[in-house]
Amino acid sequence: MADWEEVKRLAADFQKVQLSSTTQKLSERNCIEIVSWLLEKKMIDLIFTSDGKEYLTPSQLVQDIKSELYVNGGRINLVDLAKLIGVDLAHINAHINDVLKGQKDIHSVLGQLIDSSYITKIAGEINEKLIQQGQINVSKLTIQYDLPAEFLQQTIEKNLDKLIFGKQDKNDPRIFFTESFIARCKARIRGALGGLTRPTPVAAILAQIDITEKLFFSLFDQTSMYGNLTSRLAGAQYIPNVYARSQNEWVQNFYKQNGYVEFDALIRIGISDYKNYIKKQFANEKILQLNSCVVNQSILDRIEADIDECISSKSYVDLQTNLPSVFNENDIKLVLDKVLTNQKLQQTLVLNCFVISKAFIEKISKDCDELVKEKAKKSVESGKYQQYQTSLQVSHKSLKFDDVEEKVDKREERRKKAAGGKTGGGTQGRETKTKSTKKPGRTTTKQVDDFEEKKVVLNILTEEDLTSAIQMPLEEEGLDELMQPIIDYLLPKLNEQGIEIAGNIYATTIADRTANRRQTHNEIQNKLNVMVGDIRLYEKGLKLLPADCQAQLYKYLLKTHCTDVVTEILNYVAAEQNLNPVNENFNNDQRLKFINDLPQEYKTPLANLTKTLSGQSVDDFMAAVEEGLAACSMIIKKIDKKKDRTTILAHKHELLEKLNSCTDVALILHLAILVIFTTATQNMLHASGRHLSSLLTFLKQYLSEEEYSEFMLYYDFVTLMLAAGSESENAKEKLKEKYPNIVKIANEYKRPGAEK
Amino acid sequence: MVDEVTRKTLSNIPLLKIKAGPRDKELWVERLKEEYQTLIKYVSANKAADNDWFRLESNKEGTKWFGKCWVIHELLKYEFDVEFDIAVTYPMTAPEIALPGLDGKTAKMYRGGKICLSDHFKPLWARNVPKFGIGHAMALGLGPWLAVEIPDLIAKGVISYKEKVAE
Repeated sequence: MADWEEVKRLAADFQKVQLSSTTQKLSERNCIEIVSWLLEKKMIDLIFTSDGKEYLTPSQLVQDIKSELYVNGGRINLVDLAKLIGVDLAHINAHINDVLKGQKDIHSVLGQLIDSSYITKIAGEINEKLIQQGQINVSKLTIQYDLPAEFLQQTIEKNLDKLIFGKQDKNDPRIFFTESFIARCKARIRGALGGLTRPTPVAAILAQIDITEKLFFSLFDQTSMYGNLTSRLAGAQYIPNVYARSQNEWVQNFYKQNGYVEFDALIRIGISDYKNYIKKQFANEKILQLNSCVVNQSILDRIEADIDECISSKSYVDLQTNLPSVFNENDIKLVLDKVLTNQKLQQTLVLNCFVISKAFIEKISKDCDELVKEKAKKSVESGKYQQYQTSLQVSHKSLKFDDVEEKVDKREERRKKAAGGKTGGGTQGRETKTKSTKKPGRTTTKQVDDFEEKKVVLNILTEEDLTSAIQMPLEEEGLDELMQPIIDYLLPKLNEQGIEIAGNIYATTIADRTANRRQTHNEIQNKLNVMVGDIRLYEKGLKLLPADCQAQLYKYLLKTHCTDVVTEILNYVAAEQNLNPVNENFNNDQRLKFINDLPQEYKTPLANLTKTLSGQSVDDFMAAVEEGLAACSMIIKKIDKKKDRTTILAHKHELLEKLNSCTDVALILHLAILVIFTTATQNMLHASGRHLSSLLTFLKQYLSEEEYSEFMLYYDFVTLMLAAGSESENAKEKLKEKYPNIVKIANEYKRPGAEK
Repeated sequence: MVDEVTRKTLSNIPLLKIKAGPRDKELWVERLKEEYQTLIKYVSANKAADNDWFRLESNKEGTKWFGKCWVIHELLKYEFDVEFDIAVTYPMTAPEIALPGLDGKTAKMYRGGKICLSDHFKPLWARNVPKFGIGHAMALGLGPWLAVEIPDLIAKGVISYKEKVAE
């Protein structure tokens, strides 16, 4: 039964255990409940750790933060801090201010806590670095320490001269350097600058001495006594004093020696801003700025003296050789502008780079005077001058008419002129050409030139004439290169002079002419009367011939003598109207054109007259002539039959005279036949060689048998000869043998009636 | 399946070795001894953990057990009578713990106040015969049942707090 006892004992033990008081202990759950209740009631302030299993009081957190900061060497990131302490970052942030409060040596920078020990540390580091490198840039430190520049700046400035021994750059507060560094840099700069003798770009210097641009410029003032900088900018140049001095010396010496300084030379020695340089350098000098150089007074004086001398000696000066060779044309022009006073300008002529005294030119032009006179005379004699005058008038007239008659007229005029120019002989055409190729503007007569170029140009003297005239004297003087300009200058003047002379000559001739006008009028009237009389007689003679010949002979008569009459009349009218004299070989069209230009009073009668020339009837012509002459205030004298006889006789004698002195075998036949006709019919005949055969047939009745056969034979030989066949030579020989016989017959021929 | 909570509870309760029921005379005594030792351990462990939640005593033979158990809910202590018999088939079958005070008040109870144990308790017990004893039945059977049912019953107003419950 020991077992039951044991059971009983165990039961008692069990009871005892059950009755024993439970230990007074708060379970974890209770604790959490209590704490959360307390928190709820805001009786305590606690911070949960991030795993939620622990609480912290704020003061504990602050303490923790401080100790962590200390453990981490004075600098800790807030995120790291949150991890290390095991609380949420928000709590850390919330309590950072508590940490900072009352703790001036702790700073919160960019999410990091930094205390004074750390600052001291980095200050020490920075100082070391500064000593090592000589110069420190805050921006570089920011990269190294991963701290804001401002903070570092403050730190450094605060510790300057305490922990960090250096100097702050005045121009750039972010840069610090040590005295020794500055001294080193200065020494370097001084060395580099001292070694330079020519202008050097700052960049090149910097590359050599390995100093920053800013530093260089800030130190430059303290170091440089050897030269200047062109500017404070990156592209500046350093110009050593030595160089500037030698430059100046060179310029001054050159100027003193030569009296001028060339801009090119300045540029060559490295003075690009030469204008200012010169202003500075020669501030006290009396200088003249030219295109390519500056020049001093002495050179100007010299030139002035040269020109004076040139004027007084009546010669010329070549400025190109008298001035330094660097002077270009513009310079010379400027110099001349300066030197030549108005008075001198009147006495000289400037061509290219030559100053020529007017006297000299006059001398030359005098040489040409003879030539000009001669030419002028020629031009008047050849009628060119008159042509020029009339065309001048015409162009003036057309100018006047321009307003009224529109441009068509003018254009026509011009076209006519152009046509006239083409046909009017080679010389004039060429002259127009040379004139137009000439450079205008050289001489003072430019405007007139232009004006005349458009209109009418009469060159009394051609360029070639002048050239040949002045070549010799100029070559002797060695001025042949000035030939062209001198010609350009002289030619218009001489031409003007020539035209004047020609005008004078013409005027005198005109004066003569007006004096003689009355006489001329009478002369012409008489002449025309004679001519018209001849024509009438010719016509009378014509009528004797068989009718089939008559038409041809009428035509011939109109073509020859009648045309002469018309030409004569037209010439008279032309002279009267001061128009171009009618040419001998005027054709019908030209005549008509000429007549069209005449005033109305002449126009109609003369036009009618001209028309009859191409007609068939001499009677018509005679009537028209009368009318035409009336227009010219001339009268045809009444027919005087007594006078006819003498006229015919005179005509016959004339013919015989011609016949006897003639040697042309063909002409002899012609004349002989005419003589026989005149003698036989007591009438005059005007016929060409073509009509000879029909004349011979007509004369058969008046001739003896032998005479007739002799003439026929002779005639045959003549035709044979003129045919230019194989026998022409032979025929010529024969004719030579026979012609004395023919002459003899003609001379001895008597009118049959008279013999009877 | 033995879950984590169960395992932890079990770790505080020594396992039994002797397989004997009330009919087994000698062996039952041995068994009873083990039961007591187990209970003592369990209770003292509970007390140490400030987790004392029942009182038990038995008759002389150790076949009838009775006592009290309590639940603290919202800082109020609710106390209930507890009783159960050791059946002859014990330890093959688990003891049927009854809370006569709650008879008829909840659906999870058989007639006579026997609590309706969770489905997995019985197979758990069956697997652990004879290692489980009365302590295990209390810890794994009644404990969880109380923890689940009482707050529910209080909320329904089926049971209410009685001041000064006789100790």
